[in-house]
Order: sequence, then C-alpha cells, then structure tokens
Amino acid sequence: MSPHIRALRLVNFRNYADATVLLSPGLNVIVGDNAQGKTNLLEAVSFAATGSTPRTSTESEVVRWPAEFARTEMRVVLGDGARGDERAVAVGYAPGQRKRLTVDDVPAESLSSYAAGGAGVRTVTFFPDDLRIVKGAPSDRREYLDGLLSTLRPSYARAVAEYARAVQQRNQLLRRIRDGLSSGKTLQTWDTKVVDLGTRVLQGRAAAVGPLGDFFGSAMRALYGSEKAGMGYSYSAPLEGYCEALTEARDADVERGTTSVGPHRDDLELLLGGMDLTTYGSQGQQRLATLALKFAAREYVRDATGEDPVLLFDDVMSELDGRRREYLAEYFQESTQAVISTTNLEYFEEELLSRSRVIRISGGEISSPADSSGKRDV
Amino acid sequence: MATYARPVERLITELSRLPSIGPKSAQRIAFHVVRGRPEEAYGLAEALKEVKDRIRPCKRCFNLTEEEECEICRDSRRDAAVICAVEDPYDIGSIERTGEYRGLYHVLGGSLSPLDGIEPEDLRIAELVERVKGEGTEEIVVATNPNTTGEATAMYIAQEVQELGVRVTVLASGLPVGGDLEYADEVTLGRAFAGRRQL
Repeated sequence: MSPHIRALRLVNFRNYADATVLLSPGLNVIVGDNAQGKTNLLEAVSFAATGSTPRTSTESEVVRWPAEFARTEMRVVLGDGARGDERAVAVGYAPGQRKRLTVDDVPAESLSSYAAGGAGVRTVTFFPDDLRIVKGAPSDRREYLDGLLSTLRPSYARAVAEYARAVQQRNQLLRRIRDGLSSGKTLQTWDTKVVDLGTRVLQGRAAAVGPLGDFFGSAMRALYGSEKAGMGYSYSAPLEGYCEALTEARDADVERGTTSVGPHRDDLELLLGGMDLTTYGSQGQQRLATLALKFAAREYVRDATGEDPVLLFDDVMSELDGRRREYLAEYFQESTQAVISTTNLEYFEEELLSRSRVIRISGGEISSPADSSGKRDV
Repeated sequence: MATYARPVERLITELSRLPSIGPKSAQRIAFHVVRGRPEEAYGLAEALKEVKDRIRPCKRCFNLTEEEECEICRDSRRDAAVICAVEDPYDIGSIERTGEYRGLYHVLGGSLSPLDGIEPEDLRIAELVERVKGEGTEEIVVATNPNTTGEATAMYIAQEVQELGVRVTVLASGLPVGGDLEYADEVTLGRAFAGRRQL
C-alpha cells in the first residue's frame, strides 16, 4: 500500500488553535457548515505533507491570529501498516523564518525529497479556485504542469527556477540596450544561457504532455462522455528552432524590453473533440476538465513513482449531478487515501459512508466517531 | 534619546554596517570593545587603518597586495601558462588551500549581471584578454560561482578569447568529498549524476 496519513495535529493553523484529526485509508469525508474550517483543514493536510500551502501566495496567512507560529505534525504510515513502519513528520513555521521540517525529530532539508525517497506522502489537491487552470491565463496552465513535474524531479524544479532568473537577466539587458546603457556585448551569452536552460524545461514538458494527455483523455471519458479529450503543447518557439527563433526576435525584444519566445510564453492546450476548452468550453465542461486534470495528475504521479498520492479535494461534490457524484465517491473510496470536504453528507450513499471515515467540523473543533474521546496521540 | 552614550551608539552603528552583523551582534561586539583592554581596541583600529592605507590591487591579477604585484604573481615557481579566473580575492584563498593549483590567478571583481547593472566593462575581462595575449597563456580555468551569473560570465570569457587559441575550462560540480551520499541535496546529486565518469 502507498504511504498515507494516519493522524494530523494542527497548532495555530488558520482557525485551529490546537486540533487533532485521525484519518483512514480510503475515503475520509469532512462535513460541516460554511465557514467552519473545512478548507483550512484540507489546506493543513497539504501543508503538513509538502511543507507549503497550495492555496495562497502569502503564506503568513496560515498562522492563526495573534499567534506567532503555526505547526503541523503528522503520522505517515509507510508500506503495509501491519509492519508498523510509521514516520512522524512535522512542519514548524514562523513568518520571516526558515521553516523547520523534521522527520522523526531529525531536521529535513525538504519534504519533497523525502517523498521522492519513499518516506513521505505526495498529494494532489483540488480547490474550487483551480478552475482557473482551464479558464485562466496560459501561466495558470504552465504552473499546473511545472508544479506537477517539479514535485517529481528536483532537477526540473531547479531548471524552471534558473530559467526564470536567466530570462529576468536577459530582459534587463534588453532594456539597458534600448536605453543606451549597455553595448549588448553579452546578449549572445545570455541568449545561450536562456536557450540552454529553456531547452531543459521544454524537454521536461514535451516528455510529460503525451502521457499526461492520455490520462486526461481517459479521465474526461469517465467524467464527461465519449468525446475524445486530450492535450496539446503550444510552442512560442519549437524545440528544434528555439535558438534561431530567439536570435530572430532580438530586435523586437530590445524594443519591447522583454523576451518574446521560450517556455515562459508557451501554453498547454486542453482539447475536447478538437475544441479548445479554454476558449470554447462551457462552464460545465470546464469544471469537469479541471477535475480531469487533477485525476490525470494522480495517474501521472502513480505512473512515475509507483505510489498513489493522497487526494485532497475541497467541495468537489456540490457542482456535480447524481451520477457523477456516485462515480467520484467510488473513485475516492478506491484510492489509497482521499480527504474530501462537503456541506452535505447526502451527496454520499449510506452504504459508502459506512465504509468511510466521517469527520465533523464546527467552529474550528474537530470530531469524528473514532476519536470523539478527544485523545491526542500525535 | 539614545540608549547609550553617543560614542557607544556610534560604534554600534558602524559595526552594524558590516556584512552578516545584525544590531544584536553589533551591540555585543561594541560592549566587548568597551569592556576590553585599550591595547586590543587600538590594535583593531590600527589594523583597519593599515588595511585601507596599504592594501591595493595587484596590477597584474588584481589580487590584494601591499606591493605592485602580489606574492603569487611574483613567485617564479608558479606555472605562468595557466590563469585561474575568480570572482573575488577571497576565492583565491579557497583554491590555494587545496594545494592542487600552481598557476596564476585573475580576479574579475564579480560576475555579469544585467539586473545589477554589471557589464563586461565593470569586470576585469578586457584585462584578462590582454594578459592572455601578452603572457602566452595556454589555459584559463574559470572558477566563477556555480550559479546563473557565474556561469554566464564563464561563457562570455570563453567567447571573448575564442580566437586566441587558449583552452578554457570550468570547474566540475558534484559531490562533497568525505560526505555521505545520503546528505547531499538533490540538485547537487543530480548534477553529479549528469557529470558521472567511467572508471
């Protein structure tokens, strides 16, 4: 069995002062009224597993006011739980300071490297705001793709970060040339650097889009219908002619003061029956495509690592019809571990709930049948 | 109103201008000086003055020296056919401590970075090219930092001396020796993997 989370404790995280929640393999349903902390709990699971939040760019928001730090502790069960191989993973965070990550009380460099080494959990998250991956700007789709590949390969993450820095340097150089502050003697050097790093990014993406598109296609088939769905990659400059394209764009780039070709200008196309979902998809199709992208990410991780990531899906049921809800509930139940939030337990069948863990949330207090005694064993 | 007497405040302010010294450290050092023996403080003051009065860049390699040329440039036992280009004078110390290198140096004075407004003219690259022409250099070892700007600087130097028939090499990057593979960060290990060699 793939790694999964047995227990989680949150201290000063969003609206939780100090709360403990036990999780089971398979489906876990978080239920509660609006604004009780369901999304915060899902966010906390992701934070505990990866050391960062997928929800916001201003991370200091996760610290409960007026506390000065937030902390998550989780117990990860590795392999077959029968063997009792369990790790304690903790994340301590005070805004402005380096995060303190520990695995079994030993300081860890990053949690993704532990996950890569099979001692942590990977996650695939869904928040309603993720609709922008389908609907939004190309940068949202690039972020989806780069984020997925970065968690799997640190060298890819590094190439993406270095590429961004090299493009920044080139852009500044272009502006300096335009404003007469630089002779432009080093433009060739920065072009070479940009192409070198950009090629690594392009190669990583090119290798991923094929299989990821297939996974997206089968997820859409299950969620939407028989129409063929897939992915395409739209290059601002093709891999073979990248260097030439960058050289050709030089004059125009100097004028604009920005680099007009390269992976930072590309787009990931999401197609349904040959139609571009971003431009022409209906609201319903776009919603289902967002879900399908998350399912595809799960399959991609599973394919690349042999391990099933933990699924963290926020309020995913409310927008769906009965047939699709049923499909999703089974999908989650059959996964290694899924944590799903909802306002309405009736979205799930009684029989299914009897095989799942139900976690009730009210005003930052957590209760579930198995730990109603409130024991804190994390 | 200042917390301490004005001279103490001034010392703290001056100290906290130094790199990697924050206000707390500055205060601790200042009080150490205040409590300590006068000779120690005068010794420090003199050392600071001396370094500003007497140290200048070597006219050949721009290492720091009291003379026209630095000790390394004047040492006839060193191999004048090889020049190791570094960003800062203190990089020389790091390389010297390896005991592996017997050639000369060239201090560039930083790395190319348009974001910081640093162009080739701001570095001593033209001086390096002149040296290669005049000294019959056979190899330049570019030992800039292994980051974006350091690597771009190395590439630019290679391009500038392309027609002079000099070999340009860069340092390998890889695993720290004597350490455990387990503790290497993934990027370093990934690079080491990409640069593996046959036994």
